[in-house]
Amino acid sequence: MILTVTLNPTLDKFYWVERLPRSLERVEEEILIRATKSDSSAGGKGINVSIFLACMGVETVAMGFLAGHTGQIILRDLLSRGATANFVWIEGENRTNVTILERGVEYHPVKIHEEGPRVPSRAVEIFLRKYRRMLRRAEYVVLGGALPPGIAPEFYRELVELARQAGVRPVVHAGGAALTAALAAGPYFIKPDVREVPQVAGLAARTEEEIIQAGKHAISQGVEICVISHHVTGDILITPEGVWDLEARVPLSKYKNLVGADDALVGGVLYRLVEGDGVLEAVKFGMAAAIASAEIEPKLCLAKPAIELEMEQVEVIRKEGG
Amino acid sequence: MKAQDIMRRDLTSVEIDTPISEVIYLMEQSGLAALPVLDEEGVLVGMISERDIIRAALPGYLEMLHSASFLPSLNQLSRRLAEMAPQPVSEFMNREVISVHPEDEDLQIADTLIRHELKQLPVVDDAGHLVGVIRRIDLLYRLL
Repeated sequence: MILTVTLNPTLDKFYWVERLPRSLERVEEEILIRATKSDSSAGGKGINVSIFLACMGVETVAMGFLAGHTGQIILRDLLSRGATANFVWIEGENRTNVTILERGVEYHPVKIHEEGPRVPSRAVEIFLRKYRRMLRRAEYVVLGGALPPGIAPEFYRELVELARQAGVRPVVHAGGAALTAALAAGPYFIKPDVREVPQVAGLAARTEEEIIQAGKHAISQGVEICVISHHVTGDILITPEGVWDLEARVPLSKYKNLVGADDALVGGVLYRLVEGDGVLEAVKFGMAAAIASAEIEPKLCLAKPAIELEMEQVEVIRKEGG
Repeated sequence: MKAQDIMRRDLTSVEIDTPISEVIYLMEQSGLAALPVLDEEGVLVGMISERDIIRAALPGYLEMLHSASFLPSLNQLSRRLAEMAPQPVSEFMNREVISVHPEDEDLQIADTLIRHELKQLPVVDDAGHLVGVIRRIDLLYRLL
């Protein structure tokens, strides 16, 4: 079983529009943008990974904090995809993250992210009790996404430590201070989120050379698989055995929705690892899952044949070792 | 159709030492009227419902009268709930849990729900771990 933790779940709301205003500085009192289409789905990195895995036939349990009417919608969508849910309910309302996609430039969306409800300490205690119990049945645990108000970055470190003590492989799919804190406890697999802050544990991760150095630093902390995106169509895999550059020859214009693509990558890697594949093959499948997800309007591509077809687009270049 | 095809894979539950105040809080936040109670190993050991809590909070003779209309106010209930608040759910839960297995067939599930007048049934695996819940509406929805 693969356990996923989403401390700050979201209802992802998508609007597709013909054209966004080039400037918001107008004399009129309001700007009306009519959406040609809209969609919403349960989200947050861990939840997306669980949905992906459940659709691939992997047993998965999603944990975290749910709140209010939005929480009920998130739960309903998650359950309908075949994932198991084991959340702690808190007061307030889960966040809604809005993404606006303009026709023709969907690879450059406009996003509005809410902060999410504050998690009280009582709820954290309940969560930890459930987490310890669920770890007994897990093979991997994915810690994904942003931290909600009320939870310090060190919490990720505690969750990684508890997983290690239980003999479970921790996967950290986050960025910033949460990732830095988690690294200290030596997760098994990391997929740093470098979109907002192009750093991994305080090291710059903008250029290819910087990414490789940051990845090697993570490996020195005990990480066994590190995948960092260095541009929309390229990922770098760093392991104790070597460094590989994975490139997909897909033009930007083919991308319809990039939200969730990195979650498909993590889900894809884990799916193939539990199926018995080696790391390089698993990461190649993960990248194909990310590309296939980015090429469609729904957040995640859940069709295995479409992902397998996309694997032909992924070129693997050995940079070091291997 | 089997239980695993019908069940909601929602493991919202409480542990045996969870105080009643937390149970009420969780029921209110989740919108669930009954919750499975698990031991430390995650094994299902009981169920606690709103009805169990109200029954425990009201005077014992009330059930014989089939009415609460003679009560002057709800102060007595409120006082009793405050007394119960720190007590563990194990004091009030129903220990005679009726559950089904993921492989059980829909006919057996329907029969169990009807015969025992249950609104929901927990689903447990061979080890007794909670793996889901079947509500009456889940069965009706699937059979339609």
